[in-house]
Amino acid sequence: MKNRRQWLRAVVSVAAVVLSNGAFAQDDPGKSNIGRVGVTVYYATDGDPKVAGAKAAAVSQETAKRLRGEERLRFKNYRTLGQEVQPLLRSYESWAQPLKPSDEILVRFEARSQPTAQVTGLDLELWLSRKKVLKMDAHLEGKRPLFVLGPEWRGGRLIIAVALAPEEKAGP
Amino acid sequence: MNTNPDESTLALWLDDELTGAELAAVETWANSQPDQLAARDEVRRWRATMAAAIPASIEPPYPDFFNSRVLQAIREQNPPAERTVKNPSSWRSWLMPMAACSGMVMAFWIGKTSQTAIAQEVVNAPRAIPVGPVVYTPESGVKAEWIAGSKASATVIVLNGVTAIPDATDFSATVYVPMDREIDSTADSEAQPEVGP
Repeated sequence: MKNRRQWLRAVVSVAAVVLSNGAFAQDDPGKSNIGRVGVTVYYATDGDPKVAGAKAAAVSQETAKRLRGEERLRFKNYRTLGQEVQPLLRSYESWAQPLKPSDEILVRFEARSQPTAQVTGLDLELWLSRKKVLKMDAHLEGKRPLFVLGPEWRGGRLIIAVALAPEEKAGP
Repeated sequence: MNTNPDESTLALWLDDELTGAELAAVETWANSQPDQLAARDEVRRWRATMAAAIPASIEPPYPDFFNSRVLQAIREQNPPAERTVKNPSSWRSWLMPMAACSGMVMAFWIGKTSQTAIAQEVVNAPRAIPVGPVVYTPESGVKAEWIAGSKASATVIVLNGVTAIPDATDFSATVYVPMDREIDSTADSEAQPEVGP
């Protein structure tokens, strides 16, 4: 009987701790979303884009035109290798892994200040092959993304695009 | 035996300060010294003259309130002119506070209007001049080149010196869902359909 009471008391204590931690995490204002950031990896090449793989998707004409609009990003063909959208948290960092499950390319970012309607300031890091190769303060605007002409791969270059993503629409 | 008095004793005898045996001894000696007797008579006459000229006692001036007494004496000698009685309705009584208040109001107004002007300047400031980001490349041999995008439509960073990804690396396992248009922020919505190369 005594053992039963002790067990019951221990279970109640653990449940209380778990529930209080959960409530604390839910109330943490630092985890609130203040925006969304999308990271896309493009494969750009003047050669055959099929070497990127059958799953690599063609980009839209608008995206291709925009990339070609920048002289250093001008290639004949573009393919999308991967994309991930991560929330921008008020006081925590976020990691985007656009080539999931590969961690060959990772982008870490966190807010520098409260985003405004015009601009969102980010502390941004680009990790290639688990090494941090770039750290910068990025200022993203609605229609002004950041393009990073990255490493070579299969005769072309990888372009990492970081842009603000619109808010998720409420479910149906 | 030497009966001559010393100088100090002689000075005391001239001032009639000696008494008793000393006086008798010096008197005995002085009777044979007519010049000393003449000198003593001269001292006695001088002393009598001084006593007649100077009173035996005199009231010293009061040191207390000396300055105030001097000032009082001056005031008594020069009586002040009659003070003009201020007119409580004089124009100065209301003009000075009014001038001070109007100055404060004007300073407040100038400060307020100048701040508004600065704010308007900031709001209307042209944003066409892109400010370059602060870029840091921790890896040795890697350099980042920032290029302002054409028409400031994008920020472009060119990484030079990064190690190429081995061609054997396969990203075909990437779970990639075709882009939803709503998150395709890298595409310019105002762009026209491209003419393919």
